[in-house]
Formats: sequence, structure tokens, C-alpha cells
Amino acid sequence: MPDRPLTRICYVEDDEDIQRIVRMSLERLGKMTVEIVGDPTRAIEAMSAFRPDLVMLDWMMPAMDGPTLFRQMQLRPETKALPVVFITAKASQRDLDELMAMGAAGAISKPFSPKDLPEQLRAIWAKLP
Amino acid sequence: MNHSTTASGTQAATGSAAAGVAAGSRERSDPRVVLADRVEQLYSQLPLGIAATAVIGLISALELREGRIIELVAFWGGLLLLVSALHGALYFAYRRSADKLAQGEQWLRWLGIGAFAAGVTWGFGASVFFPSHADERQVFLAFLLSGVMSGGIPVYAASWPIFAAYAAGIAIPFTYVLATFGNRLFAEIALLVPLFYGVSVAIAYRLNRVFHSGYRLRHAYGKLTEDYSVLNQRLELQLVELDEARRQVEASGRKLALFAERAPIAVLEIDPRGIVTAVNHAAELLFGYAAGELIGGHVKRLVLPELHAEFDGHWMRMTETRQPLAGLRIRNPRRDGIALVCEWTVTPLVNPEGDIVSVIAQGQDVTRQIEAERMKKEFTSTLSHELRTPLTSIIGSLQLVNSGVAGELSRDVSELTLVAERNGQRLLDIINDILDIEKIESGTISMAPEVLAIDGLVREAIVLNEGFGERFKVRFEVRGELPGREVYADRKRLLQVMTNLLSNAAKFSPEWGKVEITLEESDANIHVGVHDRGPGIPEEFRSRIFGRFAQADSTASRQKGGTGLGLAIGKRMIELMHGRIGFEDRAGGGTTFWFELPKHPGKEP
Repeated sequence: MPDRPLTRICYVEDDEDIQRIVRMSLERLGKMTVEIVGDPTRAIEAMSAFRPDLVMLDWMMPAMDGPTLFRQMQLRPETKALPVVFITAKASQRDLDELMAMGAAGAISKPFSPKDLPEQLRAIWAKLP
Repeated sequence: MNHSTTASGTQAATGSAAAGVAAGSRERSDPRVVLADRVEQLYSQLPLGIAATAVIGLISALELREGRIIELVAFWGGLLLLVSALHGALYFAYRRSADKLAQGEQWLRWLGIGAFAAGVTWGFGASVFFPSHADERQVFLAFLLSGVMSGGIPVYAASWPIFAAYAAGIAIPFTYVLATFGNRLFAEIALLVPLFYGVSVAIAYRLNRVFHSGYRLRHAYGKLTEDYSVLNQRLELQLVELDEARRQVEASGRKLALFAERAPIAVLEIDPRGIVTAVNHAAELLFGYAAGELIGGHVKRLVLPELHAEFDGHWMRMTETRQPLAGLRIRNPRRDGIALVCEWTVTPLVNPEGDIVSVIAQGQDVTRQIEAERMKKEFTSTLSHELRTPLTSIIGSLQLVNSGVAGELSRDVSELTLVAERNGQRLLDIINDILDIEKIESGTISMAPEVLAIDGLVREAIVLNEGFGERFKVRFEVRGELPGREVYADRKRLLQVMTNLLSNAAKFSPEWGKVEITLEESDANIHVGVHDRGPGIPEEFRSRIFGRFAQADSTASRQKGGTGLGLAIGKRMIELMHGRIGFEDRAGGGTTFWFELPKHPGKEP
């Protein structure tokens, strides 16, 4: 378990409505600082600047999907060590198993409950080494 | 049926024909038959002999009656008549006899006796009349006797001993009379008579040999002819059989052709080089070509040019392995240019030497089927993603509103946003259930089983559903525990089933009621029961409770929520986890729903 509380989240998501809900849930209920990135091709740049504790990736995005972004992050020293949680609506168990094997920290299925989201993330955070 | 009867009948016939040939070759050396033939020959000469005897006897009697006692001549004539009459009787008896073959010896013996009697009669006449007559008549008698004796040769030639007996009957008395006559010339003649007798018997013997071998040859030839006709018969039978077989082959050929011709699927016959040799009507209809346009051309004409390489690969694999290709989907251009997707079964016909004689391709248009499959997949995907994404926003927003993060709400607003959230959730449940049913029906549902402690799982399910229970003012209470007992099941799916059973129980329980959950075990199974004090299951609903869209009362779904799919999904999932699910009335009112899962053979407490 990391020795500090989870406070900084970067969320890569193209759907603006969901961006708003997640921002409100994490900021208001979770008291966290949230950086939303709408364009996955600029995500790594944003993460380098923001330096989050944890990254949430949407699975399906038009420009670049979550797993691809995840693989690119692993190639960059500044994002390589960041814990990643996937938000997904239709991934199969096998896809998830594969990502977990590649080092993803967890997965939360859509539709998630914004009321419970901060707690779900803190639970994943607590299980990290 | 018809064919097998013919075959067995032919076999029997062939068998008996073979037996006949074998018997024929044995009979070929049967002396009884040769003997019977000789006897037949001897008896057939009898009428001639009798007639000659009668004529010669009459002439002799007329000639001899002068100068001698007439009574003696009459007696001799009577004797000759009697012998002739007896011969006649013998002849008729023989002709009427039924079994000439078995009694050949017997008839031969009777004939020998008759011949001897005739000879003796002639000899008697010589010895009585020769001394009593003058010179001229003596010459007549000598001539007569030598003629009668040598005349016997052709008559009795088929059996030399009979001739010998006959001639002896004549020669012995005559020799005696000549020798005792007292005349030197006669005494010399008496010496010559036995010599004449010997020569005659020798000639008869030689003739007899010739006859004998003649009959044997004739008999053998007869047998050969018989064998030949048996063989001929057998050949004829085989020809008939062959003809029948040919007819049957033709009939099945016609039947096959009819099947191919009338079949709703396209059938093409292709030679090993890929040249089309025959097509059926369905193939003409499918591709829009007349049979004459396809026959003689390469089958690749019916394959899109960009797929020729792929086609060559399949063709090579089929010709190398000589194994049929099934379920082969290829895009085939029609004459009008529109490409169809067809599913082909391609079967090489291989001769006993292992060479491909021709290739039969059977295909049907699956373009629409593929389109339907694609649309179904797309629909499922849309349902899954495109509906769930906006629902995430709707339910999420309402949850946040209801949680108060956006500020305090008035009582009325709060009531309405709660209704909106609850119904959004319900819509989501319906979508999830429909997706589950779709997965179950298409067979794509997958289980991710793991070893689970049943106690912990039941408690987790109750915690998850406590909120739902509170809405209906219902409490969940666990009875009994099974520490350390495990099942091998998919955790999420099992929680889904438990949730369904608990929420059903809560929905149908009276307010302030309690739902009891029992945990029991048998030797092999873990048994989980969910007991409510609801109104029970209506009789008419019991048989379809695990069916799709099953709700006892359509107003219930409006009042209590639920899709009516939960139990259908739960039943299938429990079955996929090798368990059973069921329900029964509860003593004192209410219903018990239960499921059973096999125990995981793990640690015992």
C-alpha cells in the first residue's frame, strides 16, 4: 500500500458528459484533484505535466483506444510507473485478464456508480504495492 | 430387398448346378449305364431275330416234312414257335420294365437263356433231321445251320457270351451228328464245325469290344453334352443376374441424378483439372448461367478474381489429401456481377487406385444468413455499448444529484429524481438481462469459475442486496453456516443468481417481513435456500416460471420492477456451473427458491 493517500487522478475520456460526472464525483465526493484529457493522443503530454497518482483510461475512444494508450505509456519513462485503471463497457474477461497481466492496476465496468467511484479507486489504490 | 432375394436364389441355383457337374463326372465311368445301353441294343434286335426265326423255321418245316414222320416235324416247328413266343414275351416285358438301369444284369441273363434255348432248338432240329434225310436235304440243313449261326453274330454282337451260348446250342449237336454218321466226308466236316464255331465266337468277341467302347464313348459324349448344358444354364442365370444388377445400377444412377437435379442446392461436377463437367438446375439459377455456358469452362469463373489464390490453396489441399472440404465460404460472382457468399462442401470422388475421378461441389447462398448474423452482432453491440454509455451518464448524474453534491433538493424534486434514477437503473437491468439471454441462446456465454467459500459468497450477496430489501422494508437473515465449504463457480454469475433470488423474495414479501437464507450440505452438494412469506406461486404460472419474460402478473413488473428474465438466466447459469435450481411451497405460506452446486473437494473443517 502506498504511504500517501490517493489525491491526483488523470482521466482520459472522450465523452464530455461522463467527464463531468467523473469530475464531480471525484472532486466533490472524493475530495481529489482531477485532470480530464479528452484527446488520448495528447494524454501522455498531459500526464507528464500533471503528474497524477493514478490514471483512469476509457477503453473505447475514437482517436486511440485505452489499451493502445496503455502500451504507449509503458514505453515512456515518465508514465511507465503510473497505476492504470480501465473503465470499460464491453471488454470480455479475457481482454481484462490480458491487461491485468500487462500490469493494469484494475478495471471498473460501465455503467459505474459515481457515488461509489472514489471508494472503488481507493480500494484499488490500497492494494497497490 | 429385391436384389438380395435374387442373389440368394442365384447362389442356390449355382450350387446345385455345380453339384450336377460333379455327379456327371462321377457317372461318366459308371459301367451300369454302359451295360444298360448294351442290353437296350440287344433287345432292340430281338424282333428282327424273332421274325428271321419264324421265316426260316417255316421254310425249313415245309422243306423237311417230306420223307419224315410228320409229327416230329410238327413238334420241332412247335418248339421253334414256343421259343419265338417266349422271346416275344421277354421283349415286351423288357419294354415295360421301369428300371432298366438297375436290372441290366438280370435282363442280360434272361436274354442269354433265351438265346441258348433258340440255339438248342436249331441244334435239336439238325440232329433229328440230318440223319433221316437224303443228300440234297442234308446240304440244305448244313447251309441252314451255318446261316442261322452266323446270322446270330450281328444280333448278339453286343454280348459275345450270349452269342457263344446260342452258337454252342447249334454247333454241339450238329458236330455230334456229323461225327457219328459213319461217312468220312461228314467226319471231316465234323472237325471243321468247331473251328467255324471258334472263329464266329472270336468275331463276335471283337464286335462286342467295338460295341462296348462305342457305347462308352457315346455315354461320355452324352455326359459332356449334359455338363455343357448345365454350364450353359449357369451362364444364362449369371447373365440374367448381371442384367438385373445393371438395371439396379441404372436405377440408382437415375435416382442420384434426380436428387442432384431437383436439389435446392447448387451441385457442380468438376474434373480434377477444375473444368466443370456437369451442373444442376439450382446452380444455373444461383449463378445466372445456362448449364452449357458453365460446362467446359474452369470453375474459377465462379470465384472472384481476387480470391483465386485462396481458391487454389483450397483446391490443392483437397487434391493432396483427397479429403472433402466442408463449410468453405467463398464469394462467387453471378453473371450480372453481383457477388454472393456461398458455403460449399467439396467432395473428391476417388477410385480404388487412389486417383481423383471427379469432384462434386455442393453450394448454397448464405449471403442473407451472413447479413443477418452481422446485423444481430451489430445490434447486440449497439445494445451493449451505445445504450449503456448514455445510461451511464443519466444514472450517474441522477446519483450525484440524489447524493446531494450539487446542493440540497426540495422534497418534490428529490422524489422525482429518485424515480428517474430507479427507472434508469431498471432500464439498465433490462438491457443487461437481454444481453445475458442473447449470450445464453447464442452459446457465447462464458464462465470464469474459481473456488469460492460459500459462506462468504452468501454474505456478500446479502450485503449487496440489503439496500434493495430496505426499499421493500424486508430483512435478510442467514440460518446455518458451512465454514470451509467451497464450490467451484463463477463468482459474478453466482452473485447475479443470488441477487435475483434475494430481490424476488424481497419484492414478494409482506412489509416488515423477513427473508431467510439457509445453508445446508449433503454428501456431494451445497444447498442454498431462499425462503419468503409471500403469496406463493400461482398454479398456472409454475410450469413457466423459469421461462423467458415470465411474470405471474404483468402489473407486478410495473409495481415491483424486474424483467421476467432473471430466473431464466439464473437457471441456465446454475446449470452451466453443474448445479440445479428449483422452488417449492413453504409450510405455513410462502415460497422457497433453492439451488444446489456440487461441493468442491477441498479442505474439511
